[in-house]
Amino acid sequence: MTDVDTGLSSTQLTLSPEEHRRLRRRYRRRTTLTAYAFLGPNLLAFIAFLLIPVVWLFVSTFRTGGVLGPAEFVGLDNWRDTFADPLARTSIRNTVVYSAMAIPAVFIIAMVLALALRTISRGSAPIRVALYLPTLQPAVVAAFIFAFVLHPDFGVINYAIRGLGGDPINFLGDTSLALPTIAGIEVWRGTGFWTMMFLAGLTALPSELYHAAEIDGAGAIRRFLRLTLPLLRPTFYFAVIFATIVNLQLFDSVFALTDGGPVNSTISVSLYIYRSLFLFGDIGFGATLSFLLVITVLVLTGLQTFLLRDRK
Amino acid sequence: MPGTYEDETREVESSGSAARSGLPASRPAIALSYVILLVGVAIALVPFLYVVSTSLKETTSLFSYPPDWIPSPIYWGNFESLFADHPFVRWTFNTLFVAGAVTVLKLWFDTMAGYALAKMEFTGRRGVALLFLLSVAIPISALIIPLFFVVRYLGLLNTYWALILPPLANPLGIFMARSFIVGIPDNLEDSARLDGASEFTIYRKIVLPLIRPGLVVLGMFTFMLQYTSFIWPLIAVQDSERQVLAVGISGLQSAFLQDWGLLSAAMLLAAIPITLVFLLVQKAFVVNDLSGALKE
Repeated sequence: MTDVDTGLSSTQLTLSPEEHRRLRRRYRRRTTLTAYAFLGPNLLAFIAFLLIPVVWLFVSTFRTGGVLGPAEFVGLDNWRDTFADPLARTSIRNTVVYSAMAIPAVFIIAMVLALALRTISRGSAPIRVALYLPTLQPAVVAAFIFAFVLHPDFGVINYAIRGLGGDPINFLGDTSLALPTIAGIEVWRGTGFWTMMFLAGLTALPSELYHAAEIDGAGAIRRFLRLTLPLLRPTFYFAVIFATIVNLQLFDSVFALTDGGPVNSTISVSLYIYRSLFLFGDIGFGATLSFLLVITVLVLTGLQTFLLRDRK
Repeated sequence: MPGTYEDETREVESSGSAARSGLPASRPAIALSYVILLVGVAIALVPFLYVVSTSLKETTSLFSYPPDWIPSPIYWGNFESLFADHPFVRWTFNTLFVAGAVTVLKLWFDTMAGYALAKMEFTGRRGVALLFLLSVAIPISALIIPLFFVVRYLGLLNTYWALILPPLANPLGIFMARSFIVGIPDNLEDSARLDGASEFTIYRKIVLPLIRPGLVVLGMFTFMLQYTSFIWPLIAVQDSERQVLAVGISGLQSAFLQDWGLLSAAMLLAAIPITLVFLLVQKAFVVNDLSGALKE
């Protein structure tokens, strides 16, 4: 036992500093190689399907043509065209207004449901499954479901309205109602997801603090505002970032239900990008709009990180 | 703020507090919670009942007033037409195959990358992590135009590869996997390393089994995102036989003729596989908090 120990330490002692550095470097090189082998598959996919597309987008914002004829450098023309295009401006405004309606609504509803789920002790499993069912559907399916439910002729909501003596409402055919209706459908689909997310966050909170707060005489609302909300900051950080990224890409439900109408009241940035790919021979415009969306999401998530992240 | 509670905390702990966070709720609070949840469940489920009812009716009978919730007689024609006139079985197979393949590959690649980022000291680690982190915030629908050209260049348009490969670049899963792996104590791996285990053996024999609960959640999340994905399949695949459910269903309606019965039948059947998968793994959903991914 002692022999082995001395043997080991004497070998270490005989290493010259130079040799030591060399071995260290070799070890480091080997770890680095191993690490990149582990990262390899992801890096490959990342380069082919994320990095190259983003660089391609950026370059394409300065070019025209490319689909039918050869590409040509046009400087800032695409940027000028995009900002001057009234439909591009409308699509940006619609996407932002939609997100500003959908995200706070779904967060508030999901938080109320999560708090209720935490309060009850029996029967929560089937309730969770039921609440999650809309989240499992593709957005186009959710959209079509509401196309029935809200249908002006045979939708159940309009039966109810007519039954009460009102005039049927054409939810998706009215320029001022269509976008809020789309937001409502997405809230219906998203509620289950965010409820589970907030419930997981709530369940992970330390119970000791709550007992202490109650002993201090803090009421339920005060406990929620002063204790729960600040403690949930990491969950909110993730939620706000993720919801922003997802909602600014609004596409599926408008594509399925309104195709941007009526009178462009629901056209979203993604829908306009999609149209530009197939309708124009020129990719410069669509690329510029896409790049604008990338920058918007990056800036917004950066800003949210700055505002919401834990400060140490 | 928490500092002032220290003494009381100790006292409460010694008296044995419930494992659940929060407080034992009062009776009115519990009653109110059930009311809120019942309303929530009703709003979540009633639209599905409408779909079930519509799928079992002839579309022409939809316009009768008052509406019959329970169709009589039950009409199976919508389902027959769905299978006879549309490649619905193919769409279902395609969706499950693509979502399954993406889930398996992503779990594998993301846990490998997560392991490297969590446990290895290597040159360029901060750079790689920052690159992945920045790209979490790149919206896929902004990339559809270049992705279309990349995939066309690779000659993969209209193939399963076109649907499977691009989603692998989504880096969110790497951070989730990393957050699961960071929690594993280093000395577990170190002792295996002393026994001569290679990094890959450690990854496969020690890391993967330990993070299995987290992987179930990450896997379900990936599968669900893939099952519901729409804009990319819409662009990458034109051939109806290769299409996924969401796009196939959206093609069932046309601007002039809306066959609501057929559409309902398709939506009802499309909801079944993903619901079954969710029921299998739903217990894991409550215990695990995906938001840990972006904590530093």
